[in-house]
Amino acid sequence: MLRRLRSLWRVIRSRRDFEQGMTEELRFHIEQCTDDLVRSGVPPREAARRARIEFGSLSSAQEECREARGLRPFDELVRQLRHAARFLRKRPAFTATALVTLAVCLGANLTIFAALDSILLRPLPFPEAGRLVTIFNTYPKAGVDRDGSSIANYYERRGRIPAFAGVGIYSYRTAVVGEVGSTKHEQIARVSPDFFATLGTGLSMGRSFTEEETSLQTDRVVILTDTYWREHFDADPGVVGKQLRVNGRSNQVVGVLPPGFRFLSSEARLYFPFSSGPEDRASAQRHSGGNFKHMIARLKPGVTLAQAQAQIDAQNATLEAYDPEAKMIAEAGFRSLVAPLHADHVRTIRPTLLWLQAGAFALLLIGAVNLTNLLLIRASSRSKEIAVRRALGASRWHVVSEAIVETTVLTLAGGLLGLAAGAGGIRVLSVLAVDRLPLGSHIAIDYRLACIAVFGAAAMGLALAAPIAWFNLRGHLRSAIQSETRSGTASRAAQSLRHGFIAAQIALAMVLLSGAGLLGLSLERAMAVSPGFRPDHVLTGQISLPSNSYPDWPARLAFNEKLVKDLARAPGVLAAGVVNNVPLSGNSGKSAATVVGHVAQPGESPRGHYSYGVDGDYFATMGFSLLEGRFLTADDSRRSARVCVVDEDFARYYWPHSSALGQRLFEGSEATTDAQSFTVVGVVGAVKQAGLTDQAAQGAVYYPYALRTDDHLFVVVRTSLRPELFGLALQKVVRQIDPDLPVNDLQSMDTRIADSLVAQRSPAFLVGIFSLIAILLVAVGTYGVLSYAVTQRRREIGLRMALGARPGQIRIQFLALALRLLAAGTILVTMGAWLTGRAMQTLLFQVPPLNVATLAAAAGIIGAVSLAACLLPSQRATRISPVETLADL
Amino acid sequence: MGKTAELLPGTLDMLILKAVSLKPLHGYGVLQRIQQISGDALEIPQGSLYPALYRLEHQELIAAEWGVSDNHRRAKYYTLTVAGRRRLRQETAGWNRLASAIATALGTTPEEV
Repeated sequence: MLRRLRSLWRVIRSRRDFEQGMTEELRFHIEQCTDDLVRSGVPPREAARRARIEFGSLSSAQEECREARGLRPFDELVRQLRHAARFLRKRPAFTATALVTLAVCLGANLTIFAALDSILLRPLPFPEAGRLVTIFNTYPKAGVDRDGSSIANYYERRGRIPAFAGVGIYSYRTAVVGEVGSTKHEQIARVSPDFFATLGTGLSMGRSFTEEETSLQTDRVVILTDTYWREHFDADPGVVGKQLRVNGRSNQVVGVLPPGFRFLSSEARLYFPFSSGPEDRASAQRHSGGNFKHMIARLKPGVTLAQAQAQIDAQNATLEAYDPEAKMIAEAGFRSLVAPLHADHVRTIRPTLLWLQAGAFALLLIGAVNLTNLLLIRASSRSKEIAVRRALGASRWHVVSEAIVETTVLTLAGGLLGLAAGAGGIRVLSVLAVDRLPLGSHIAIDYRLACIAVFGAAAMGLALAAPIAWFNLRGHLRSAIQSETRSGTASRAAQSLRHGFIAAQIALAMVLLSGAGLLGLSLERAMAVSPGFRPDHVLTGQISLPSNSYPDWPARLAFNEKLVKDLARAPGVLAAGVVNNVPLSGNSGKSAATVVGHVAQPGESPRGHYSYGVDGDYFATMGFSLLEGRFLTADDSRRSARVCVVDEDFARYYWPHSSALGQRLFEGSEATTDAQSFTVVGVVGAVKQAGLTDQAAQGAVYYPYALRTDDHLFVVVRTSLRPELFGLALQKVVRQIDPDLPVNDLQSMDTRIADSLVAQRSPAFLVGIFSLIAILLVAVGTYGVLSYAVTQRRREIGLRMALGARPGQIRIQFLALALRLLAAGTILVTMGAWLTGRAMQTLLFQVPPLNVATLAAAAGIIGAVSLAACLLPSQRATRISPVETLADL
Repeated sequence: MGKTAELLPGTLDMLILKAVSLKPLHGYGVLQRIQQISGDALEIPQGSLYPALYRLEHQELIAAEWGVSDNHRRAKYYTLTVAGRRRLRQETAGWNRLASAIATALGTTPEEV
């Protein structure tokens, strides 16, 4: 086989040489034969004649030679390609419509598939990434679904779970890096020494961290990513051992990571040891994960997830036996879940992507139906030609292969355009901020996707050829030759096939449109949710206070106080405050609070509440509503007053029948001494903490910053002008206090809210685009089929008009056809829309699966569009001149 | 010219391989050589010679190269390839087996049954 292909290739490569050589060889033969005959005494003229006769037909010998070299199918293909190209050139309107349809439909699919591929399908860039898992604590009955893993968890599990070949813990942070005066803010990660080994990544230079480097006194080492090494150390091969100033302290470079290393969606460019003190590792801290420390592990070969889960469960059971808080933890439904790292990382985006792919595929189906109809129309206009050719001996295979070549040329050209469209689509995705999705910044079209696109286009060519070939083969010779002349109208089977396709297309487009409607409605409802505060005119920014310059809370408090005071003096500032975490920042952690006098009912589980430390005029700045008592003030923080403010959800849960004011509670899950308790001095309105679509009201407690301090904080400023305009001024104020401190993540609260909806907005927008395209395709499809129907029935119409039919009757005849198709489509769709709506529930917010208004709107739009697409052809029908058509008879 | 026999189907390829195995030949030379070595007993239809040559070349059993003929004309010469030599051996052995079997069968006398 290979040998013959090689031989064929040699011939095809120099086809002209082959033909010339063959002619020359045969001519040589005949001349030799003539010469021999002359030598034996035959006169030259007679000899030449006899030589030619003896040889036989020269052209049939040549044809047989070509076939012997396997050239026949190839020649046939070339001929059919030429034929197809000529046909496409001769009908530019058809070709352009088909190519644009294909480019758009394939491009949309490619775009979504590129996202799907890079986010869901491609394995993480680590060796045997399928064995990587993450383990997180969950307390579902306390309303805490994920709480990361604690340092204690890490030290308890390391080396003690036989299912794991390696365990690592990490957390993300920011750090101030660089010499005084030229500091920069960098995303960093803190990782345990075995982190890189667990991932299976070696270092390109130097070494990973050691055990000694995990204690707080000896952790001044750093590992650089390849990009950081190139940008800041000029790719210095002797970088190991050099110093890098981080948070004001000198850190020694011990290693460099290989190029392209990236852990999940992390932007970290520097890696530090996950250092901790003995108290952090104690079992008392086992449940202090807080959803920002995360654990990874690598399963040993052959070990299943279930085995690992069983071992973790068994260990937890053993450990909890000695835990003084065991009862509360058990009541909270505590478990440590083992989940595949990749799947867990992309879990939130997975259904959305799958639905988008389904939407794009529906679009492709609609486009394919359109093309099939256009091609069928063309095929019926050629049915006579085909029938004649078949009568003259064209084989079935010839008819089929011709259809395949034609459609495949078309779809391959469309596929190439679709690649370009897909590349454009990926840019649209980046405009939609899809790079903020998990693994979303890896989306690209690579050669694999290009191959898939080309194969997909070729497969589509084959699929499109099937109905055409069927149509061409099925016609009876005589009826086809006779039809569409004087006695014939359109072939009934072909017509009902076309109409069936249109109905299916209308149905698909309506499902798509109503899906888009549901997503849009859901987005609108989510956007209409009040966050509980006034987000307008609020600017927020994050500041990390390095622990060496701000070692304790008085130092941090002094910074806050100065910051708030300086900001208040700045022009255009109405109020300013500080909080350890703003709502909707994406890292709201929950923790326990113990209310004095609250007796847990049987079956009642402990609850996790959002807890915040606030300073300055935080509540006024954010526009919280005060329901009872008073807000916390800077003065509370300064005095370290043991007071707190709770939100209405919290108050309603614990004191449904009395006032919350004057009640007392403890931070954490234990009631300690009275001196440690906080007195509630105010109740504020509930705000959306994690996202606008939050359903559960978990309640929140606000403490004075002095008593719940953190080394990073958010500064919030209410301005009289547009908040974005105040960004530079804010940075200036901070730098005047400490030139080393940059402000990060400067965003208005409005922007934060908009960004928190990216997972709702992007799909709604994309499906909206898909629906628009679908509507256009339906218009094109209906128009094409209807105008063909008009052309087909010209004679009939002419005759009827000659017999006295009015134009209105003719028009109604075609509009009725359109309405029938529409009605068939609508009945199909109601079912489909309900099923899709139900299946899409996970993506929807406060929207029922079958929204009558949405469905009606979708039907209305599609109806209007397809009727409009009918108007033109039916108008043309009424203008058919009886005289002209009857003259044709 | 003496009595000529019709070629059995499939034997032309074998004869071409044999002819070419003796010495590189052009197409007309193959024709002459087959007639010569068969003692002019075989009649080769000229029209089917070249398709057969092209088929064998396609199968890489023979290889073609342009050369110069005895009368100083450009001509395409065929030589046997390694695969062709192997094929010729197989076909010869197969033919011999068949021929002797048929000869034995046809030589059977009533006494031997």
